Amino acid sequence: MSQQLDRAKQLQGELVKQYYKQVRETVERGGKVAYCFVMANPIELLKVFDIAPIYPEITSLQISYRGGAPPLIGLSEEFGYSTDCCGYVKMGVATVLNNGQTSIGYIPTPDLAMLTYSGCQIYIHWWEQYQYLRGTPVFTIDIPYVRDYDGHIPRHDIRYVAGQLEELIPKLEQFTGKRFDEEKLREIIRLSAEAWDLWRRCLETGKLKPSPIDAYFEAIYYMSAITLIRGSRECVDFYRFLLDELMARYEQGVGPTPEERFRLVFEGVPNYPFFSRFWGLFRGWNARCVAATYPKVAGIIDMGAFSLNPDKPIESLAEYMIHAYCNWNMISRANLIQRYVREYEADGVVIHSIKSCRSFSMGHGDIREYLIKDLDVPALHIESDHVDPRYYSEAQLKNRVDAFFESLSIRKGV
Amino acid sequence: MARFYVAGVDAGSTYTKAALVDDEGKLVATAVLMTGVRIIEAARRAYEEVLNKAGISRDDVRYLVGTGYGRYNITFGNTQITEISCHAKGAHYLFPGTRTVLDMGGQDTKAIRINERGEVVDFCMNDKCAAGTGRFIEGAAKALGLSLKEVGELSLKGKKPVKISSTCAVFAETETMEQLAWGNSIEDVLYGVHSSMATRSIGLLRRVGIEPELTFTGGVSLNPGMVKCLEEQLGMKINTSPLTMFCGAIGAALFGLEKLKSKPVTTASGVRM
Repeated sequence: MSQQLDRAKQLQGELVKQYYKQVRETVERGGKVAYCFVMANPIELLKVFDIAPIYPEITSLQISYRGGAPPLIGLSEEFGYSTDCCGYVKMGVATVLNNGQTSIGYIPTPDLAMLTYSGCQIYIHWWEQYQYLRGTPVFTIDIPYVRDYDGHIPRHDIRYVAGQLEELIPKLEQFTGKRFDEEKLREIIRLSAEAWDLWRRCLETGKLKPSPIDAYFEAIYYMSAITLIRGSRECVDFYRFLLDELMARYEQGVGPTPEERFRLVFEGVPNYPFFSRFWGLFRGWNARCVAATYPKVAGIIDMGAFSLNPDKPIESLAEYMIHAYCNWNMISRANLIQRYVREYEADGVVIHSIKSCRSFSMGHGDIREYLIKDLDVPALHIESDHVDPRYYSEAQLKNRVDAFFESLSIRKGV
Repeated sequence: MARFYVAGVDAGSTYTKAALVDDEGKLVATAVLMTGVRIIEAARRAYEEVLNKAGISRDDVRYLVGTGYGRYNITFGNTQITEISCHAKGAHYLFPGTRTVLDMGGQDTKAIRINERGEVVDFCMNDKCAAGTGRFIEGAAKALGLSLKEVGELSLKGKKPVKISSTCAVFAETETMEQLAWGNSIEDVLYGVHSSMATRSIGLLRRVGIEPELTFTGGVSLNPGMVKCLEEQLGMKINTSPLTMFCGAIGAALFGLEKLKSKPVTTASGVRM
């Protein structure tokens, strides 16, 4: 791939640095730091109160990506956590136990813990650990679980979340000493909506043949902006740049692999400690992921069911929060994967379960069977972990991945 | 005399197997030896041995395919293919009616569903631990001071299988000793060992769907105790033969032959070591 058409990845790296700088600046001017989850966070509302978000899930994966996970995991295990407990939790707790000192630099400790309870039971206990360790106040929003999604979220569910957001506003006013500014919220939401729309269009370039994007392995870099800095002009500009770059790739016939031999749909959280080698297992076969569920973990933006609306800021924020991927039951998720296979004309599905996360990996075995037996879609199910390097066994993964591509080659006649 | 030969070398975790087929895809010879720590050395020796058995030289071999965990170490081969695809092809060669393959090796167990051409439709493997693989039988054999051949035969004499709660390969020895300490006979304990492994493999097979005929391959397929337990629990006959442990190598050689036939050969002198 020519260098000039791979500029967005460098740009996102710079944006991540800027984001951490902004968090530090917020702390310096007396603003608060909220620990937030990637799924279902109302960051637009927090920003109104000059609250900077830290996402322990993202700091963990960034540390892990650079090989720094084992000391933090070890610290939490010495503290008493089991080896079977989620790696994100152990790294997030260890960061605070270590007073924010990590291999990627200082991560500010929380002034408040914004708990958006959405499909993951451990979220509650994780945030409670901060409360126990530091007396951090936990603000909780309960998100109703989505069963058998039919394209709409029931009104009463949206009202239930919106009501909690309305209750949160005076609490945040009290906590920060700042007045709620609805106009500011509308502006942040307008920018968020614009970024989400551009990001959706970037991901949808996977429908092109050949696909100019790897909508999983590359999307993992690109998705950091929508989580870390959405609601800002920089975020919108980044996705506009990315969309242009992807279209230029398509026009010039370049892409993430030398050629496009296989088109895959990918489900599951990636392996971060060995990210490049993990990608290499697929890239070596000239396989491109044309669609994936993980980049939409914070919000399933491509179902046409919702969009952030500055005219209905609280309600549309509530609706967005319910569209977190892990907040959906297995059948809804299997249907989404099936839809991707059809709309993106994929050859097969790869499902990567992670030892840490039962909420994401739940039902993966059944989804595999459903795809193969009921839909005649080739599917591969593999397992490792997202942050703990101890669960990555490359020889065994490679064996499974290679066998999958061998059978896909025969099936496709390539 | 065939015009040329094609070889397959299966570098498994415990044994390295080699097979030779002729230009018409007929099996000519097989060889097996312990893999040990020097994978490439074992592969070379297995290859030499199969050539000796067939009474031919390296120049008569036009293509060599490596398979098994050590396949990327077989640098003297032309290409590598996973043992999943190779076992499917090898099982289909030995028993053309095969639709399901159970491959039980030293460190992993695979359930493979194949079509009428011997192509892989779906497969499932044991999790990252060696539970339910040949290692468990090895552990039990070690604890009793018996050979692998003996444990299978002795288990056939068992009357009532002892319930083995763990299938962890590391705990195989302690589990076996504990059952003996409780006063159970060696035969019944071994019957239990084989029975619990059969249950575990059948669980794996059900995930891909059991469609007859079922062919049992890999090193453990030579164990009569394992065959008996599988047949008992499945309520059906399963295919196995002295050659099923070579299915990976046979399949590899057959893939090599297909590759030769699909495109012109560039190297006339064949495989160089």
